Amino acid sequence: MKKDVLAICALFLVIMAGTAIAAKDTVVIGLQGPITGAWAYEGQMAKQSCEIAADLINKKGGILGGKKVVLKVVDDAGEPKSGALAAQKLVTQKDVVAVISTYGSSVCEPASNIYEKFKKVNIGYGVTAVRLTQRNFKYFFRTCGRDDSQGKFFAEYVPKKFNAKRIAIMHDNTAFGKGLAEDTKAALAAMVKAGKVSIVYYDAITPGEKDFKVPLTTLRETKPDVWYFTGYYAEAALLVTQARDIGITCPFVGGNAAINDEFVKIAGLKVATGCYMTNEPLPGDLPYPMAKEFLAAYKAKFGNIPSSPWPIYAADALNVIAYAVDKSGTTDSTKLAAFLRDQVNGVPGITGPIGFTKDGDREGVPFYLYKVDDSGKIVVTK
Amino acid sequence: MQVILEQLINGLTIGSFYALIALGYTMVYGVLKLINFAHGDFFTFGSYLGYTVLVFGAAFLTAHFGLWGVLSVALLAAAISIAIVGVIVERLAYRPVYKAGRLPAVVSALGASIFIQNAIMVIWGPRFQAYPSELIPNAHLEIYGINISLLQVIILVMSFLLMGVLYFIVQKTTFGAAVRATAHDRKTAALMGININKVIFFVFTLGPALGAITGVMVGMYYRQISFTMGWNYGLKAFTASVLGGIGNIPGAMVGGLILGVLEMLGAAYISAAWKDVFVFIILILVLIFRPTGLLGEKTAEKV
Amino acid sequence: MEQATGSGIRKYITAQPLRLALVVAAFLIYPFLVSDYFIDIAFFFGIYALLGLSLNIVLGEVGLFDFGHAGFYAIGAYTTAILNTKFGVPILVLLPLSALAAGLFAYIVCSPVIHLQGDYLLIVTLGLGEIIRLALINNPFDLTGGPNGVFGIDFPSIGPLVVDSSIEYYFLIWILVGLSIVGLLSLQHSRIGRAWNYIREDETAANASGIDSRKYKLLAFVLGAGLAGVAGNVYASKLMCVSPESFTFMESCLMFCIVLIGGMGSIPGVLIGAAFISLFPEIFRPFAMYRMLIFGLAMILMMMFRPGGAWPRKRGAVGLKSLLDDTGRSDA
Repeated sequence: MKKDVLAICALFLVIMAGTAIAAKDTVVIGLQGPITGAWAYEGQMAKQSCEIAADLINKKGGILGGKKVVLKVVDDAGEPKSGALAAQKLVTQKDVVAVISTYGSSVCEPASNIYEKFKKVNIGYGVTAVRLTQRNFKYFFRTCGRDDSQGKFFAEYVPKKFNAKRIAIMHDNTAFGKGLAEDTKAALAAMVKAGKVSIVYYDAITPGEKDFKVPLTTLRETKPDVWYFTGYYAEAALLVTQARDIGITCPFVGGNAAINDEFVKIAGLKVATGCYMTNEPLPGDLPYPMAKEFLAAYKAKFGNIPSSPWPIYAADALNVIAYAVDKSGTTDSTKLAAFLRDQVNGVPGITGPIGFTKDGDREGVPFYLYKVDDSGKIVVTK
Repeated sequence: MQVILEQLINGLTIGSFYALIALGYTMVYGVLKLINFAHGDFFTFGSYLGYTVLVFGAAFLTAHFGLWGVLSVALLAAAISIAIVGVIVERLAYRPVYKAGRLPAVVSALGASIFIQNAIMVIWGPRFQAYPSELIPNAHLEIYGINISLLQVIILVMSFLLMGVLYFIVQKTTFGAAVRATAHDRKTAALMGININKVIFFVFTLGPALGAITGVMVGMYYRQISFTMGWNYGLKAFTASVLGGIGNIPGAMVGGLILGVLEMLGAAYISAAWKDVFVFIILILVLIFRPTGLLGEKTAEKV
Repeated sequence: MEQATGSGIRKYITAQPLRLALVVAAFLIYPFLVSDYFIDIAFFFGIYALLGLSLNIVLGEVGLFDFGHAGFYAIGAYTTAILNTKFGVPILVLLPLSALAAGLFAYIVCSPVIHLQGDYLLIVTLGLGEIIRLALINNPFDLTGGPNGVFGIDFPSIGPLVVDSSIEYYFLIWILVGLSIVGLLSLQHSRIGRAWNYIREDETAANASGIDSRKYKLLAFVLGAGLAGVAGNVYASKLMCVSPESFTFMESCLMFCIVLIGGMGSIPGVLIGAAFISLFPEIFRPFAMYRMLIFGLAMILMMMFRPGGAWPRKRGAVGLKSLLDDTGRSDA
């Protein structure tokens, strides 16, 4: 028993010593994300994206006159408790200048409480719950949009485009999906009241399942003119395939996590063609020079481009931190937070110019309606 | 009416998946009184192996065996490999433990489940994988206005065939009698000259093989698989086997089909979001009034 | 050591005074030596210890298979979260209230199913746990906040004294764990504890000797749930928010493992099990995506080499024989 304890202690020391050795000429940026667990693909893509972004900066000579950007990744398994521990782990490491954290609003919440308390700048990349930036936090920012910006876009643009009166909204009971569905419902409320549209279907499916024919049959019977699904691509692909199988023909519009190349692959070209999605500009459509450079580098290393929008926001979080450290010449958290809030405006990023509101929200995240064309490409509709 | 029938067929399709997986739980439980939590991950593992065969062997296999040949090879390869995995897991993770009792084996089974699930993530990556859609028959049948896909028919026929064969083996053959005797009372069965190790080998090859076949069918039916899906299916299938009366082989089949239909009813007539709650409430009610499940024999179990 | 008469605590103190003092001293000094990260790990160790102790009442003492314990934990956490954020009830007031709510809930839902045996009780508790989690996600009456959960929970405070730093939370949870251990030790050697063990060893005989097994089994569920509710209260205020992800079936499984890895019915065992479950994934952080793989393997190895648990409970008259029966069929 004693020997075991000693062995564990020794192992522990070796690990600690290993992490303690860090070169001086570096700027360390933390990344907290789901490297394991059900969202592991998101976390691992975010890690890859941040590595590419750091590489690109370092190849151009680094920041602060030649210092290299180094990434320190901590796994939070997509789970709140592990998120809190991951945050604690990062705040105790003095060399970590700022943190990119994390994917999932309910994981981000306890973690950002800890970052706030220890005055560590933290930038969310896949956290869209509105409430996160309504806490008067000084150190929390996000590079992604909020649920309600997308809901508003849907209400303003989509019913008009399809001349739709009967709208079906389906979500997946995740924090993100339900949030977007509720915000869309709220954004439509005025039009519903005026009698212009009606919400004929509003229910949730269970993520992780494979068979949705039953809720879809119910949906079919409500005869919607347009159908908005606010969940993820894994379910979206199954939903559309099964919906076409049972004869639902109305336009399918997905939220910004619903359609990507994987969606097209799973649903098959025949079904995917003609599906719509509300989205921020996709990686491939980003007209910005940084996007082209980033995606080329990503593709060269990993063979494809990220299949979801979130990892790119993580890369942009890294870019904006690097920019702020470089321009302000400081690694002091309080000064860095103030700099990000007040002086970062229109900074070039992969997803367009980056700036923050006084709450820490990203300024001006544009939304488009995208469409899968008959060659399986996801293109902007005009 | 058509809608209800369509829904019913959908429910039966899911139900037959649950039933096939539940058989693995119930056979192992019958013989060893062990809840094999890793069984759901055998199912996932099988699904990924079938995927690999279809993706990498497709060109070669279609040229030599045709479309149906490819599918059969994928099913067979998955079934055989997972049967071997099942035996290995039993030898390495369960056998040294269940000698000491059934509770430590529960922990060992959970450990095996976590291990296999993460091994799948490490081997195939954390992303969803998509079964190649061009290899899968995509035709539809209209029967009296009811819309059924050909694949659904194939799945239902195959599931019932597999269940029928298993039912025959267990209920009608001498070896089946040995399996049932072992499930009934292991010690006495051993005294009667039944080779218990042979029976254990049987349930740990057949159960995982059925799980793997289900995995490939689920992959073909939904075209999309993920490394965490075994947990969800495993939980449902385990529930199905208890609903039917755990340890009872026809019970698992009936339990699975009923569970699938119940889910369908819950989703269609209550709410898709509350359907699992509905299913679990029905399960609890059944157990309150029939404490050993629908087909379970009445025994006083002392734990 | 002969069967001690009188209080169980006194027995422990007189048996190993030096070792006990060393353990307590180590717990007192530890947080002053390490960073907040390690204090927080010890805090979550404490949470799991409390959860393990609470499940140990049901599983270890009475031998009832409870696979839905995360549900009671959730009831405690959500009672705290909802009453605090909606009505401003102070956290410390909610500590007993959460315990009461979870205990009452256990009483109501377990009453109709308490007669079920072994694995059938297992699936029913599993079902209850899932029902609770799904209900939390579906946001009934707009109370639970759906998948987003409830946020903005206060810190516990008495007058000017506010528990808001890692070190204060560390002491809060370990004081609660300490008190629970003292309480449970004396319970082990009381009439109730003996009745529980009797039921576990042979329920029919227990009934025949005049023990109302139904009453004692329910009592175990209520006490176990109440203690889990306490853990939920502390957890909710520490994280300042609760969401359904924290109360999954996996969490119930981990609690089950805590009790079995430590040794059924053994209080020091529960501490070892909780340490394993909470420390292991942290220690193996550097292995990134391989860490859960190693975790699974470690669980198998633990059971292979110490199937009775790391620190099995020593028993005089009562043995664990029937529980560890390998006949495969424990006959009536």
